[in-house]
Amino acid sequence: MKIFDKSHLRLRWKRLLIFLSIAGPGIITSNVDNDAGGIATYSMAGAHFGYGLLWSLIPIMVALVIIQEMSARMGVVTGKGLSDLIREKFGVRITVYLLAALIVTNFGNVIAEFAGIASSLEIFKISKSISVPVCAFLVWLLVVKGTYRSVEKVFLVACLFYVCYIISGFLAGPEWGLVFKAFAKPAVSFSPGNLAMLIGLVGTTIAPWMQFYLQASVVEKNINVRDYKHSRMDVILGSIVVTVVAVFIILTCADTLFKAGIKIETAKDAALALKPLAGKYCSALFAFGLLNASLFAASILPLSTAFVVCEGMGWEVGVNKKFSEAPQFYGLYTLLIFFGALVILLPGIPLFPIMYISQVINGAVLPLILVFMLILINDKKLMGNYANKRTYNIISWITVIILVAMGIAFLVSLFKI
Amino acid sequence: MNKMQENSLKMFLFFSELLGRSVVNSEGETLGKVADMKVRLGELFPKVASLCLRKKRQHIPLELDWVEVEELTGHLIQLKPEAEEKIKPLVVNESEILLREELFDKQVVDTFGAKIERVNDIHLLVADGDLRLVHVDIGIRGVFRRLGWIKVIDSLTDFLFSYHVPEKMISWKYVQPLASDPHKKDLKLNVNLRKLHELHPSDLADILEELDQKNRSRIFRSLDLSTAAETLQEVEPKFQRSLVLSASEELVSDILEEMEPDEATDLLAGLPQEKKTKLIQTMEKPSREKLEELLKFEEGTAGSIMTKDYIFIQGNKTIADASEAFKNTTHPLDTISYLYVTDEENHLVGVLTLRHLVLCEKSTPLSKLMNTNLIKVKTEDDVRDVREIFKKYKLLALPVTDDDNRLKGIITLRDIVEAT
Repeated sequence: MKIFDKSHLRLRWKRLLIFLSIAGPGIITSNVDNDAGGIATYSMAGAHFGYGLLWSLIPIMVALVIIQEMSARMGVVTGKGLSDLIREKFGVRITVYLLAALIVTNFGNVIAEFAGIASSLEIFKISKSISVPVCAFLVWLLVVKGTYRSVEKVFLVACLFYVCYIISGFLAGPEWGLVFKAFAKPAVSFSPGNLAMLIGLVGTTIAPWMQFYLQASVVEKNINVRDYKHSRMDVILGSIVVTVVAVFIILTCADTLFKAGIKIETAKDAALALKPLAGKYCSALFAFGLLNASLFAASILPLSTAFVVCEGMGWEVGVNKKFSEAPQFYGLYTLLIFFGALVILLPGIPLFPIMYISQVINGAVLPLILVFMLILINDKKLMGNYANKRTYNIISWITVIILVAMGIAFLVSLFKI
Repeated sequence: MNKMQENSLKMFLFFSELLGRSVVNSEGETLGKVADMKVRLGELFPKVASLCLRKKRQHIPLELDWVEVEELTGHLIQLKPEAEEKIKPLVVNESEILLREELFDKQVVDTFGAKIERVNDIHLLVADGDLRLVHVDIGIRGVFRRLGWIKVIDSLTDFLFSYHVPEKMISWKYVQPLASDPHKKDLKLNVNLRKLHELHPSDLADILEELDQKNRSRIFRSLDLSTAAETLQEVEPKFQRSLVLSASEELVSDILEEMEPDEATDLLAGLPQEKKTKLIQTMEKPSREKLEELLKFEEGTAGSIMTKDYIFIQGNKTIADASEAFKNTTHPLDTISYLYVTDEENHLVGVLTLRHLVLCEKSTPLSKLMNTNLIKVKTEDDVRDVREIFKKYKLLALPVTDDDNRLKGIITLRDIVEAT
């Protein structure tokens, strides 16, 4: 009997080991999602609406799982990146314009991350003329000098630091009874203010670059089709973690800023406003979380952009290559970081219009990519038995239609401002 | 005989220019648009066999033999009289590929540069009425052309730097297309993967690492045993694993037999236990025994990296006998730079070099010539210590013995370089 138990246990261990060797892409992608922009949005949702919008994180999580699961599945089954598949299926014309749009929107995001780095360190009294160049260099070094494995490890460690938000959430002392009620019996309201915030939440959680990044890193990991179920677990786990972190950011701000009636515009505002209300530890943790998230996303976004562009254009790709072997890859990566940091350092450059344009393109590119993904994943030639099943297809189309509708609403709202 | 032939016109065309052109019959009525072209492989620069047409409100793909084309005028493709009746549903057989479907925008292997490239355009030559596939365009210029920016870019770079973005093409001779749908066309493309086999195994290994899983294992399975063995030794461990797991056990065990035993043990070390035992069982007896013996040694010891391919001979034999033994061996060159002399019980007593065989009198007994001042290691010695010995003495190979000084194998310079 004991022998049986042992072998059973060993089997469990083996499964866990396989999972650990495959996990990574999903968890990393989801966590980068909670970047500087994401934290700002969640903080605003908490500060302005209290527990009111907590319920929306559940459907957003479901949508996130559905979309990302498709990306991971395509990566595992075809062994090719998304831009690669788009190029092969839809031709060079669409691909080039799509990639150009992606570069612009990702560049906007990179700037936002460096802004996050600058403002979070300013809370700790470090001038941005020091923090930004140093962080930009560190980020650049990590990928240019690292290998895929080492880079992934650093990223996974960065994921752990999101615990900051969970702790600061507890420090803020939420009323758990009300929190559970907010999930169980949500007071769903679609007033214009609510709706705009909701669209903001969706927009920041489901972004075009994620699909590309997730699929590319699944491909880079060379995951076997037989191990696909582990990859799916990775994606689901990542989406859950990201939602938990978002919930705690909202809680932190809801219990302090919302009650005090403080309006905020950025994550930095939130961290500063927390100090008198929830104590300096809560505020510091919040700021540190912002720094971690911004740094993390600042290294992934340029990487993902370079990956995607080179793949679609047929240039050499890979973290494991030398600079001279993949000049376009490292060139683009370096330029994005360099200019992203430069924009923050030079006072004359208009930050707001750049961010605005990047948000508009973000909103415009997402529907296109989601539709492309659905076409590709239903291609039997490409996916074989792993194409979408009927029911799943209906669910994913509905999800995509809702997201597209919200994306359009988001665009309209941007133009109204 | 069509008009192109009469004019014996020679001109280059890009596939992107032909795609989407209207096809008109002899009366000038439009029949449809060019949707694709079918090429029959086999020749060095293969001919376009037929046009694939897209008609309005027609969903089945259609084709028309290229011989029915009268001429290419302006932006039209003019057909011969009565060509219309010869339009038939598209059939693609084993030795044919569709340019748009299987080559355009897809990845190919450049066997000359040993790299994977993406096809931005396809360069065709009209010669003697035939349309032939001559180059694939892999440069950024091809992308600009297809985007319709080429004139703007050219005048811009000309104005700014007096420079034109150069064409980057690969001759079709060096292009190996890859399958877009590997499941269905396994058979078909295996026949056509020949160009890949000219590559050096280490280049082939790099290319395999870059490819997607399906293409990777398909190409791997198409290789002959010795190329497969050499290539497998060159690819990174994680790809080794996935290649071995995707191929049949018979094939892998055949490849293992082809590999040098020490390399084979390295490969097996990375596999799950069950797979390992199964593979060893499937192997032929002589290779299996060699392998099993090597597998007994712990990883990181001299025994685990040594090879069994070496020449040994007894001390009472002569140079002539040794030369004979040398002639009959098929071991790799780096393992036979030394000849090891043993006694009746396989105890190592001395060593000779190739130079002795060439320079010394044929009848001299080996025991008189051999060097008895031996540098050797034991099977259980640490690989790191072995490396130090190589560094110190600058040897090409070292003998490995057991505790009783019995010769068990040798470690060559290559083995120690590869053992990291």
